[in-house]
Amino acid sequence: MTDPVVTLEANSQPAGATAEARIDRRRLRSARTKQAIIEAYLALVLERPQIPTATRIAERAGCSVRSVFERFSDLHVLRVAVMDHAVAEATAQVMAREPQGDRRARLKTHIETRGMICEKWLPMWRALNMNRGDSRDLKSRVVMVRQVILRRIEMMYRPELSSVPELQRRRIVIAIESLIDFESWARMRQDNGLSFEEACAVWTLAIDRLLPPTPVS
Amino acid sequence: MVLTKRPTTQTSGVDGRRLRSLKTKQRIIEAYLALAGEKSPLVPTAAEIARRAGYSVRSVFERFPDIHTLQVAAVDFALTLVTPSAPPSATDRQSRIRSQVESRGRSCERWLPLWRSLIANQGESAELRQRVVALRQWDVRCLASIYAPELSTVPDGERRQLLMVLEALTDIESWARMQEFFGLSFEEACSAWMQAIDRLLPPTPARA
Repeated sequence: MTDPVVTLEANSQPAGATAEARIDRRRLRSARTKQAIIEAYLALVLERPQIPTATRIAERAGCSVRSVFERFSDLHVLRVAVMDHAVAEATAQVMAREPQGDRRARLKTHIETRGMICEKWLPMWRALNMNRGDSRDLKSRVVMVRQVILRRIEMMYRPELSSVPELQRRRIVIAIESLIDFESWARMRQDNGLSFEEACAVWTLAIDRLLPPTPVS
Repeated sequence: MVLTKRPTTQTSGVDGRRLRSLKTKQRIIEAYLALAGEKSPLVPTAAEIARRAGYSVRSVFERFPDIHTLQVAAVDFALTLVTPSAPPSATDRQSRIRSQVESRGRSCERWLPLWRSLIANQGESAELRQRVVALRQWDVRCLASIYAPELSTVPDGERRQLLMVLEALTDIESWARMQEFFGLSFEEACSAWMQAIDRLLPPTPARA
């Protein structure tokens, strides 16, 4: 049975407004499907670091293969969209923890956040690096991620880094970046069998030694 | 006399054939290594390998049942070429750091394309994965030997942590990033590693 209130409301709206509302709902549904496809792709890569097929993505997203290609012209375009989504999510995760407190507190915040990022995004990072091929779009995203990591190091350890000359500072940042790479985390956890806390302790020891003394404020 | 001569000729005939076959095998491995380095991270095709080695595709598959077996043989051969950094434990700290870093830098320069090809194509292969782990363990043993004086001054747990850190710092991809991402020259990259290693290592104990 038709809801008389809805019918009345619909009838009371001008024809143009009803059409606009319908288009808005369609757009919203389409945006939701797009998001579901991106999340399906991401979930599949996080489960297994291999490029998923369009069929598997569609299955996981609960839509048809045609729907996938209606929203993304090819799998490469989808890959780039997934990468952007992942970078945005990881950046939000990083920025949620402000660089506050003394040296110990900042080391702890930085390393634990970085460890959590590595835990969550390692499979995605590996899949991206293995399949970026000659794609300029994907290479630029890899560079962007590295720049975010560098900026974070510089921000977290600004008091210590500001106390040394430029060349020395650059070398320290490069060394810390090498150390906290995704694959360095993977080797500690997978090859050396360290727990999350043990792996954090290794990075803490190293970064603490690499950094110059904290200047007295 | 005739009786004794005949088997010798037959044996030398067989030996000659074996030797030729071994040489062919070696040339195929070397062709694979050269191509894998050039095309990294793509795996060269059997046709490309055969062409580079100067043999037929059939010759390749007579010696290696598939490309994966050839990959494993090539990695094993490459491992024999990786020159160990001499552990000049008698020299002072700075000389040891410089010697280790420069040797590692040269090794990274030489083997980076092949390493990337190995990592990208190890897939589910237990044999290739095993070799990757063996190479990393070998690197750690080299570090432990070169920095033995400094590492001997700290407890086992810390020693283990420091070795993991040194291995991560001097990883082949870390070298690649210094050059490709940060744009450092060979000397600048060596200096960055030397400064970091010097900060990471505990003080060198005074000689007994």
